[in-house]
Amino acid sequence: MSIVLKVEGLKKRYGQLEAVKGIDFEVGHGEIFALIGPNGAGKTTTLRIVATLLSVSDGTVRLFEYDLKTNPEKFRERISYLPEEAGAYRNLKGRDYLKFMASFYADTPAKSQEFVTLAEQITGLGPRLADKVGTYSKGMVRKLLLARALMTRPALAILDEPTSGLDVINSLEVREIIKRFAREGISVLLSSHNMLEIEFLSDRVALIDKGLILDSGTPKSLKEKYQAENLETVFRSALR
Amino acid sequence: MKKFMTLLVKEIRELITKQLVVSLVLMMALFYFIGTITRSEAQRAAGKQKISVYDLDRSPLSGQLVGGLETMNFQVAKVQAADTAAAVSEAKNSETNVLLVIPQGFGDAVSRSASMNVETYTFLRNFSVMGARTSGLLRAVVSAINNVLSDNVLKEKIPGADPQSLKNPIKTKDFIVIKSRMAEGSAALIAGFVSSQSMLIPVILMMIIIYSSQMVISAIAMEKQNKTLETLLTVPISRASIVAAKMLAAGLAGLLSAAIYMLGFRNYMSGLTGDIASAPGVSQVVQKLGLALDAKALVLLGVSLFFAILCALAMATILGVLAEDFRSAQSLIMPMVFLVMIPYFITLFTDVKSLSLPVKVLVLAIPFSHPFLATQNIFLENYGAVWFGILYMAVLFTVLVVIAARIFSSDKVLTMKLRWGKKKKTVF
Repeated sequence: MSIVLKVEGLKKRYGQLEAVKGIDFEVGHGEIFALIGPNGAGKTTTLRIVATLLSVSDGTVRLFEYDLKTNPEKFRERISYLPEEAGAYRNLKGRDYLKFMASFYADTPAKSQEFVTLAEQITGLGPRLADKVGTYSKGMVRKLLLARALMTRPALAILDEPTSGLDVINSLEVREIIKRFAREGISVLLSSHNMLEIEFLSDRVALIDKGLILDSGTPKSLKEKYQAENLETVFRSALR
Repeated sequence: MKKFMTLLVKEIRELITKQLVVSLVLMMALFYFIGTITRSEAQRAAGKQKISVYDLDRSPLSGQLVGGLETMNFQVAKVQAADTAAAVSEAKNSETNVLLVIPQGFGDAVSRSASMNVETYTFLRNFSVMGARTSGLLRAVVSAINNVLSDNVLKEKIPGADPQSLKNPIKTKDFIVIKSRMAEGSAALIAGFVSSQSMLIPVILMMIIIYSSQMVISAIAMEKQNKTLETLLTVPISRASIVAAKMLAAGLAGLLSAAIYMLGFRNYMSGLTGDIASAPGVSQVVQKLGLALDAKALVLLGVSLFFAILCALAMATILGVLAEDFRSAQSLIMPMVFLVMIPYFITLFTDVKSLSLPVKVLVLAIPFSHPFLATQNIFLENYGAVWFGILYMAVLFTVLVVIAARIFSSDKVLTMKLRWGKKKKTVF
């Protein structure tokens, strides 16, 4: 499996505070890699760094052959980021929002239309795409944003709490969509508090706490290592 | 370029909403309405003035007085009443604002060169600018009476002499000199005209700066509040393009708003100042003194205004980053308002050249001072000062844009926050 993302010795400092204290991980082609940890562990900071939103204090982050410090624009062309608390422009219609976002990635109108068509399928919102985003429910907005993140078939999709605020049915649908795209070759770096979701989605997970990766591996290998029935127990044992 | 245009169109659509268009159209209609009323009032005030006269004397001299008033731009309405109270009542119900009561024995007293009281009644029907003209009308009536009477006495006592020459043996010829230009005219009238004309520019500038700044700050704050900024910052478009699209869209929206306000305000102001412009000889004197803004002057003024707007947009972009949400954005507009108000009031009430050096430096360091001063500098042929202002604003704009672009290219765009009364915290 070829490596899409390689993170080595990554550190992030805010003044005196070190939020990420030197972490290493890789994400392979078509792999779903998850970061799990408590609040303030450094998951979102790591995702935001890979998404080019925050700068690297120390260490390297490489997407294929591109280094984040020197080529952030190459990253942006190949990734897509779904923040935990994301929104869409309320004055735009759902379809117009997708067209707007597609125009940044497509070279031709035909390509842009291809992205929008795919996004329409992912959302499953049908005629509601002709309505303004301001009229959507939280679940509808989340699906719209997930479709926006996946429609361009990025090399790496960075998903922060992808099912945040969704009900059970919508969450299941979203997980299926993520799984399907990963099977089609899209690499996914995600974070979630939902251990069931992580176990269902992830090929590999990293347990992160206080800016450090405590352990990593496949959900199965971690459960065996910590002699645990589920990832929640693994996580608790790793923290001790 | 295509990506930039897409972003620009989105920003414009976000800013120029139906609500904004409706409010601008309503404002335009309001200014037009007020302007039309004030213009018609001003025209009425400048036309033949109606006064009521209650002549109790009915002597040949009082008849001459009424005739004299009629030759002096007054339309006299004679009141027939039983007594003064009834005359006041009748005049009050008519269209006239002044009643002149000529008492019995008036003609006899004047022929004896004795002083005689005439009564005047002024009906104040409102306290507006136009309404205040009534008191001016009263003074004009009394002056006209004195003129008529003294002329008659002088004609009678010194036959063949010109009463005007006798009363005013010294005549003045007023000249106004501005730099190398000179013209004959009243300095007070010309100064009033120029001040009324150039008053429009600071008001428009103030509106554009405040509008545009508010739009930029709000646009960035709304991106943060609606949680769309993070997504936007990860799309493949340069951060400089994001900043430029926001600034350009706000600038265009601010210009549109200001242009509509300007048209409306100009209509309103022409209603108030139209009579000054139409005063005899004013336009010729203004032309001769070069106090009218010709095409070159307008271009120079436009360039000065343009750079002031650019500086405002760049400052607002930096301030916008500090906003957490739409509400905090409203308080962040205050520094911009102060920066506009300080030079506005200083240029309105004093001459910047007369200020002490530190204060002068401080005022000139505010970029918005330069377009405020540009009009009078153009009138006074101080083109060097105008160009210095433009150059200063261009340099300042470049510095501010570099700072704004750096902020947008760094973590600060997400981590910089202004928290009133709270310790700054970093969330990760």
